[in-house]
Amino acid sequence: MIRRIAISAALLLASLAVWGQLPTGGVKGAVVSRAGREPIEGASVSLMKGAERIASCTTGRDGTFLVEELENGVYSMMIEADGFVRSNVNVTVDDGFIKDMMTLSLLPEQVVEEVDDASYTEFDMDDSGFTDNPTILYNSNDVFTNVAGYGFSNVRFKNRGYESQTQDVYLAGVRMNDAVTGYSPFSLWSGLNEATRSKESTIGMESAQYGIGHFNGMTNILGTPSSVRPGWRFSFLTNSALYRVRLMANYASGMLDNGFAYAVNISLRAGGNDWIKGVHYNNLSYYLGIEKKFGDDSRLALFTFANTGHRGVQTASTQEVYDMMGDNMYNSNWGYQDGVLRNARVRKTFEPVTVLRYSASPSDKLDLSATLLYRCGYNGYTALDWYDAPDPRPDYYRNLPSYFYMDDDDYNRLNEEKAEWAYEAWTTHTKDFANYQHLNWDRMYRVNYNSADGRSKYVQEQRHVDQRDLNLAVSAQWYATENFTLNSGLEGKINRTEHYKKIADLLGGSYFLNIDQFAERDFASNEALTQNDLDYFLSNGHAEKIVKGGKYGYDYYAHIRKARLWANGIYTLGDFTASLGATVGYETFWREGLVRKGLFAGLDDAGNEITYQGKTLTTYDSQGRPITSKGLSEKPGFLTYSGKLALAYMLHGGHRFSLNAGYFNDAPTFSQSFVSPRTRNSLIHNLTTQKTMSADINYQWSGNGYSVRLTGFWTQIKDQTDLMSVYDDSQQSFVNFALTGIDQRHMGVEIGAKVPLPLQGLSLSGVLSLGEYIYNSVPQMTMTVDNSSEIIYEDMDLNYWMSSPIYRRVNYNGSSVIEVDVNGDAVIDRWQKHHIPSTPSVAGALVLNYRTRSYWFFELNGQYFAKSYLDMNPLYRTMVACGGADGIATPEEIEYMATQEEFSPAFLLNGSVGKSWYIKRKYNFGFSLDVRNMLNNRDVRTGGYEQSRLISSAGKDRYYKYNSKYFYMSGMSYMLNLYFRF
Amino acid sequence: MKKILSIIALSALMVSCTSLVEEFQPVFTANYPQPAADKSVELEPNITIAALCGMYKTGSPWNIDQDLIIAGKVTTTDKPGNFYKSLYIQDETGGIEIKMGKNGLYNYYPEGTTLYVRCFGLTLGMYGYKSGNYGGQGMVQLGFEDPSGSYETSYLESSYLIDSHIFAGPAGDPAEPAVISESELPSSFDTQKSNPYIGRLVTLKGLKYANQIFCLIYINSNKDKTMSANRIFLSDATWGVTTWAMSESKFKEYLDAGLWDDVKIGNSGNYAYGTVGHPEDPGFATSRADIRANASAYSVSQYFKMGSREIQLRTSGYSKFGDYEIPKSVLDGTATVDMTGILTMYQGSIQFIVNSIDDIVVHE
Repeated sequence: MIRRIAISAALLLASLAVWGQLPTGGVKGAVVSRAGREPIEGASVSLMKGAERIASCTTGRDGTFLVEELENGVYSMMIEADGFVRSNVNVTVDDGFIKDMMTLSLLPEQVVEEVDDASYTEFDMDDSGFTDNPTILYNSNDVFTNVAGYGFSNVRFKNRGYESQTQDVYLAGVRMNDAVTGYSPFSLWSGLNEATRSKESTIGMESAQYGIGHFNGMTNILGTPSSVRPGWRFSFLTNSALYRVRLMANYASGMLDNGFAYAVNISLRAGGNDWIKGVHYNNLSYYLGIEKKFGDDSRLALFTFANTGHRGVQTASTQEVYDMMGDNMYNSNWGYQDGVLRNARVRKTFEPVTVLRYSASPSDKLDLSATLLYRCGYNGYTALDWYDAPDPRPDYYRNLPSYFYMDDDDYNRLNEEKAEWAYEAWTTHTKDFANYQHLNWDRMYRVNYNSADGRSKYVQEQRHVDQRDLNLAVSAQWYATENFTLNSGLEGKINRTEHYKKIADLLGGSYFLNIDQFAERDFASNEALTQNDLDYFLSNGHAEKIVKGGKYGYDYYAHIRKARLWANGIYTLGDFTASLGATVGYETFWREGLVRKGLFAGLDDAGNEITYQGKTLTTYDSQGRPITSKGLSEKPGFLTYSGKLALAYMLHGGHRFSLNAGYFNDAPTFSQSFVSPRTRNSLIHNLTTQKTMSADINYQWSGNGYSVRLTGFWTQIKDQTDLMSVYDDSQQSFVNFALTGIDQRHMGVEIGAKVPLPLQGLSLSGVLSLGEYIYNSVPQMTMTVDNSSEIIYEDMDLNYWMSSPIYRRVNYNGSSVIEVDVNGDAVIDRWQKHHIPSTPSVAGALVLNYRTRSYWFFELNGQYFAKSYLDMNPLYRTMVACGGADGIATPEEIEYMATQEEFSPAFLLNGSVGKSWYIKRKYNFGFSLDVRNMLNNRDVRTGGYEQSRLISSAGKDRYYKYNSKYFYMSGMSYMLNLYFRF
Repeated sequence: MKKILSIIALSALMVSCTSLVEEFQPVFTANYPQPAADKSVELEPNITIAALCGMYKTGSPWNIDQDLIIAGKVTTTDKPGNFYKSLYIQDETGGIEIKMGKNGLYNYYPEGTTLYVRCFGLTLGMYGYKSGNYGGQGMVQLGFEDPSGSYETSYLESSYLIDSHIFAGPAGDPAEPAVISESELPSSFDTQKSNPYIGRLVTLKGLKYANQIFCLIYINSNKDKTMSANRIFLSDATWGVTTWAMSESKFKEYLDAGLWDDVKIGNSGNYAYGTVGHPEDPGFATSRADIRANASAYSVSQYFKMGSREIQLRTSGYSKFGDYEIPKSVLDGTATVDMTGILTMYQGSIQFIVNSIDDIVVHE
């Protein structure tokens, strides 16, 4: 029996009005399970044009469906069923016929709840200058992505080794990558799994209807209320590696008869976890949306969402500290305040996003859409700040045994007795010693109490990055002929982001003085130079006393403007598809300093030099331009463009071959372009666009439960710039490394395969990502300190950035020595390549999956990761660091200093089990339990960074590195999800 | 009844799950209790400072193996930066430096606070002793052992080490300085044991500027500081230095002004490296620019006369008043100064260290 559902009422009414021209085209078919080829009853079949749902129906008991009265045209047919992965196929209705799609098979869904981005954003890299941002792969139809997408997230796998900025993330057709940094913006909708579940995504170089993208895939979250799965959904989730509980409620109306659609999604995440002490979640996320359909062919959607609350954060530490604490997950950010646990580093956010989207199909050959998107609110991050008092961090290097004693005399750290005292303080794990191993809040308060006039010595600051981001995206899809489609669009962005810090807590004191304490040490004789706000000082005669909530330190706007046109033509001829796309755009940005810093006074409003007590404060750079902190910087402009070609051929039997190639000329981001954005308007010179060439070649096949994908990829990136700001203990300030001319090459293969096993419902999947992601240029570095006008190094070559030499060793009198040639030069055996850090270059998984007809599922998942590398500090790759104080770089020094650390490989075993029950076909409840890292492997390093300080040897002839800091993956963890839907 | 039982059961569960309570604490309240003020400790001293110093034998640092406790008032502050990482305490018999090894000590131990030192496990040693006719005594100090042999004692530094030996007693008024006359000044071979004013807060009156400074400059402090080619002495004259000391920026100002161009590079009769204006050792410096590249702040000893005795006023280049100009009337000898500070000995000479600029009073 065929269940016929007549589309939506609106369409029906409209159809009645034009009864005479009632279209006669349609689509029919049967939906079955891919595993058992059994019919799926109650699956929803929707025919879409763009994001608009033209018609829909549900399948009958035998899985069949029929949609009639369709106008001629190309539709995207979306098939959804509870417990199965959503599937999309393109259907062409022509000549008024009912098109028979025969059987359409659906892949059973991974019932394990997808984690949200929380697992990525917890790491605190803020003071390290190194970035750690997620790439999340979505594409439920792809066998590789299915296994690697979330499965590899716990080792912070970066797809093809690409930085997260290269992944284009869209929302309702608007590119959402952060305007200032380029990072992917997942945290904006973190927790809103239901509202953001409907998404379209591409992998690698593929383009999409809503844009052309780069070389690391595109994802568009539909976001509109009508795209949220209709019905009520509730879930309770508890897990031991992120946050304790998540409660989620969701309601979506679907498109109602009156032409309205509503959706609400609320989620609450709270508590800490079993692995990292001192972290917590307290986040409320909400989504509210309403959509109205006007007539047949247009709709207007308005929705808003935010993720608000606060979250305690973890910081990396050195292996020495981890070993003494007996815990690789030790977190130095917390301590007891009058017996109550308190984390100093808390991320506080409220960044609501509001979207107005209009879409229309004025003819069956044309879809149009326009989206206006606004993002505002605040993003704050607390940390300790202090003035003229000891560094409060428990793992400050002077608190560690290694500061007092090293086995190697050449470190000149000889006091073993003193090291013993420090060691005892770190290794006695009783309550009395907690204040040595964690923050001592009580002591900080007491210092502030002791301060004569209430001037706080320790405060908690809150660094803000507050965005005002307005976007407009217009796009058109023109189905010109049966064979040719043209997608095109226009994107514009106006962004103003304010960076500043304010006092979050005076910790028992009554004010904090707005001066630069490092400048105070260097320029004791000139008080004006120590001012963070010179204008205030000059008009009041003293520095401002900052109270709670007051801004201090730095305050500036990043202004960004972007505009872009894009077009992509797709030509289909039989089994052959070709597409050609191009973009052209313009980007500009500038800094607007809101306070005048004493060290970088610049000129006053009348263009005169600024003086204090007869001394000129204004200073000039090497080109004779005044170095300014206040007012507008130069406005560099960049012409951006890109081109993409894609060819695909479908061989008989469903074998698909495709080839993609592209060239991209992208502007640097604001965050990469200033030598010291907190303090001055000076741009990195030699600022230029980043050029990328990329190509991939793919083979795909699926059928009868089998699925295969093979991909080879190659990408060359040229002329990247980067800015790393690293907190330096000795300077008590941020040190900035501005790098230009970074080139990198990404090359490798991706393999994914799935095979059904003889037992009904049992299947085996395997994926492998094998890559080499390396640097291949000698970049140049300019090093500055926030609190000094001096440029420490300018345009210094990073000789050992892309590789470092390994010298040949020979046996000489029973010991291994470096071989020397006839000229007396050491013989280089080979050059060791340096790699893009913090991602395994080798990642593989084998997954055994079993599903029963009674909705049980079991999965066992073995993963292997190797060739992951530590983030490199640029300073260590200079001749300065390799040379030591005597300036002579010996082979031993170069090998020691420049080599990049490789992490040990890791094997992980994960398992999950779940079941769902259906009651009266209407109610569905179930659970899933996911156990990760069942072997409880606690030695898996997922990232880290090198510090930027050097220890001069006893003989003053070489430098030693400070110990690197690492992040580890948590040991065995569980995630239990209970859900109820109707 | 059932309700009560379940409440008890629930609270028992909560108590047993302190970590659960801890992780939800910031969720339910963002407020943290204000910690109470520090409680002061009281110990019974069993030896005076002078007696403790008397137990030191010149040239042999002593790792104290007796349960000795001294008590004294803090007389110095590191707030203006002239004292750094250490403090002085004094009782009626004398004063002694405790090499704490932490910055911002005034935050914990303000002037006038009574400190108790449990000496067992610490090291008593001397800094600044020089033998021979031109030498003399230095200062007996309390610190930790120094296996490197560079000094007789090292800084305590380790927080646990400090907390186990140094105890803050009650706060109090700052110590009254002893006003002493020329005849009460120590001789070259006096120590804290033989002269009660060494290491204590004293006031010297009627001092006259002696038109002489002493300052040791390293061309590159990253290189071996003991090598002659790396050393420049400003001594015997003032070399144009009119500030109490010099910060890094002030150092550059003096250097750039060419005031030191004729100063010889080198020391102890080994001056084969040219002068600051015309250096000849390519390994160390080829120009003023090279010296400038490794500039840093420098301490300066300003020479004064108290009657016939020479007093070196030693001021750190990192102190907040280091770059202050010495009043003209002092420099040209028309004014005298009174100074209050710690009287210390270095190689038999008197080095005087003030806490702040306010401790130098000029009489026109």
